[in-house]
Amino acid sequence: MKLERYELKAEKSLMVFEFVSEGPKGEISKLVQFGETNLKDFYNLAFGDKDPVTGEINDSVVSNNNDSDKVLATVIATVYAFTDKHPEAWVYATGSTRSRTRLYRMGLTKYLSEIGEDFDLYGQKEGEWENFEKGVEYEAFLAQRKND
Amino acid sequence: MIKFVIMKVKELNKSKLPVVRIDNSLEKYKDKVLFKDKLDKANEMLKTTGLPKPKKQHS
Repeated sequence: MKLERYELKAEKSLMVFEFVSEGPKGEISKLVQFGETNLKDFYNLAFGDKDPVTGEINDSVVSNNNDSDKVLATVIATVYAFTDKHPEAWVYATGSTRSRTRLYRMGLTKYLSEIGEDFDLYGQKEGEWENFEKGVEYEAFLAQRKND
Repeated sequence: MIKFVIMKVKELNKSKLPVVRIDNSLEKYKDKVLFKDKLDKANEMLKTTGLPKPKKQHS
């Protein structure tokens, strides 16, 4: 990734990551989780802000910390780290709102040439998976590390 | 020396595979469902849509 990203911390299994967003709103701690689903090797990627007082996670808050590119690049980096340790994993992600899903799609589009070298990337459209393509509106995304 | 190490970490962090510092304080989150709505959505998608069709192998 050519774009700047935040430094990452994680627990040993690399299923939960933490990084600190820095911007005009100050420092905001963010947690990324690769959550186990009902299907083996299929994980739900989600991230949100950690409340500094309660430690509770909120994935619907809009931080407006003027660093969305850097945050997205950092989250993509967690996918690299996670799938390096769990190479068979499918990683599923969707936004909490349509506009946020659109934001993720734009981010993936931006890094598509790099991500496409290492991952099979799919978009969900009208209940079907198709190969991710630029300019198509998707409901969700799915990635699996290419195993050469 | 410390400055050199910090610079090295920053350089390494530019590679696709990031440098990740292990922090045991994050262990407490590992078995918690932090994003229940999204996890439910993922499980629902698995029931209705499932996985993509396998890619055809070129011989």
